[in-house]
Amino acid sequence: MFAALFSVFVTAADWVSPSIDYHALAPEIILAGGVVVVLLLDLFTSENNKWMLGPVTSFTLLGSFIPILTLALSDSGTRSLFDGRYVVDNFSLTMKGLFVLAGYLVVLLSSDYLREGDFYEGEYWILMLSSLLGMVMMASSRDLVSIFVSLEFLSIPAYMMAAWRKRDLRSNEAGVKYFLLGVFASALMLYGMSLLYGISNSTLLTDIGKYVSGEMSAVRAVAILFVVVGFAFKISAVPFHTWAPDTYEGAPTPVTAFLSVASKAAGFVALLTVVYVGFPNASEVWQPVFWIFAALTMTVGNVMALRQTNIVRMLAYSSISQGGFILMPLAIAGEGDSAGAALRAVVTYLLVYAATNLGVFAVVIAVSHKTRSGAISSYGGLFSYAPGLAIVMTIFMASLAGIPPLGGWIGKFGSFQALVSAGTTWGYALAVIGAVNTVIAFGYYGNVMREMWMRPVPDGDTTHVVVPSAITVALGLTTFATLLMGILPGLVLHFGDLANLAGAFGG
Amino acid sequence: MSEFLRSYLVVVWFGLAAFLVGSLLLGISALLRPNNPTSEKLLSYESGVDPVGDGWSQSQIRYYVFALLFVIFDVEAVFIFPWATQLERYGGFGLVEMAVFVAVLVLGLVYAWRKGVLRWV
Repeated sequence: MFAALFSVFVTAADWVSPSIDYHALAPEIILAGGVVVVLLLDLFTSENNKWMLGPVTSFTLLGSFIPILTLALSDSGTRSLFDGRYVVDNFSLTMKGLFVLAGYLVVLLSSDYLREGDFYEGEYWILMLSSLLGMVMMASSRDLVSIFVSLEFLSIPAYMMAAWRKRDLRSNEAGVKYFLLGVFASALMLYGMSLLYGISNSTLLTDIGKYVSGEMSAVRAVAILFVVVGFAFKISAVPFHTWAPDTYEGAPTPVTAFLSVASKAAGFVALLTVVYVGFPNASEVWQPVFWIFAALTMTVGNVMALRQTNIVRMLAYSSISQGGFILMPLAIAGEGDSAGAALRAVVTYLLVYAATNLGVFAVVIAVSHKTRSGAISSYGGLFSYAPGLAIVMTIFMASLAGIPPLGGWIGKFGSFQALVSAGTTWGYALAVIGAVNTVIAFGYYGNVMREMWMRPVPDGDTTHVVVPSAITVALGLTTFATLLMGILPGLVLHFGDLANLAGAFGG
Repeated sequence: MSEFLRSYLVVVWFGLAAFLVGSLLLGISALLRPNNPTSEKLLSYESGVDPVGDGWSQSQIRYYVFALLFVIFDVEAVFIFPWATQLERYGGFGLVEMAVFVAVLVLGLVYAWRKGVLRWV
């Protein structure tokens, strides 16, 4: 027995320092360095110089985009660090690029918003950078422990950011609801992960993939279900969506944009890696789960969105239903060789959705700056006094609804194509439900367009809307991206094609 | 009983042993000690000083910040102790890694200091 105890020391003796590929880790290192720099700047500058924190944050984000580009252009292929626990492949690089650029756009949306309200500035940027660092780490994590640490790393700052309007009751409610349900989801997921570790005696996803196969015992099915449900909270899939509308409405609008785009995309990234690398041989367990999630999420999100009178609440339900569309291809990802098509569809949809939804929130922030109201009816007659805003909002709404030739169309097209090409009855059935929902979605997206173009201005106040320059830049970038991806779909499909997930389905 | 469940039998035995040892010790002391209850013995213990007020009094909310600051040093200790016992083996790499780790934790303390948390107003 003592020999067994001491054998630990004998095997531990031949420790060698790990060789670290610093190029592969450069985006994370730059982001972590940015957190430290912003923190120190916040501590040692006077109140008059706090304006520089926002620009420093955005330079950090652009700086971490450079190594992502050089890694994508280098020919070294997939880089695997720490015994395969941290993998930098094309999939993770595409998603890291998405997170960093979405973060940059949120910085543009936040800077004026923060300056006008009574907010803590320095901490806001620190928390946002930390959350983005968690997301960037999530894209590369291929191990249960690093996935969980990344998830908490990206969530905990987001809980605090949701409650950033400190004196506002709704914002506090938003933060508390998000926190409580998020922690509950983490607990569920940890339980599933502990079962997975019990089954396979490893936390490495590729090892788990070997054990979670063949005859599905109850414990394997429960483990998979719990892990998937944990992430379903993060992507606000019905029936785990109840936190989303309240949190989105109460949180400061730039934070809502951040949650509905970056945080949601991070949930999808985690779901994709876990399902593709960890459970490739258990598709008979997770395919029906995703089928139900996708069908419910689309339908409930859409039906609830129809009844909303507040624009942010409507967008919250809209983002829930968009999540359902993104989930659709996962319901057939295990059929034959449709895994690749499903992955491409999800990545493409996420890219398009990120650009469009950030643009929508940019318009919401700009308009509410004048109208001081969140009601959809306050958009009445927007075209008469702010034609530019009305036109870009129409573009974004049409893109979310999926009208060609805008970005949202190519996202929906990819999802439906993946579903139909699988050639199963369940795939066709889900495609029909998706098609019906696409039509329902026109109801509330069209309603906003009708308000802007056809209704009179509610209070007759037609003074010009002053759009801050940062938001103008954000609007320009998102409009350009939405139009470009719709007109030249090959471009975004190209990114989808690049997004090969190393180790997916044993490949 | 399967091999899998049998390995959990250890947990059951440990639980039983802990319960038996605990009740044995408490039982012996209950039998041996003199029983002389006074009202002073029911007072809440406050480091030997006469307690002021009852045990349910509100405590100063500012203490929570100190609890958070304590966590900084606590986490530091948790990681430094095992590292220090194997200092030579991890060599320069380990030293640099630990320096980075401590520096990041010290940032938390610097933050608390600059924000005036360490001052008792």
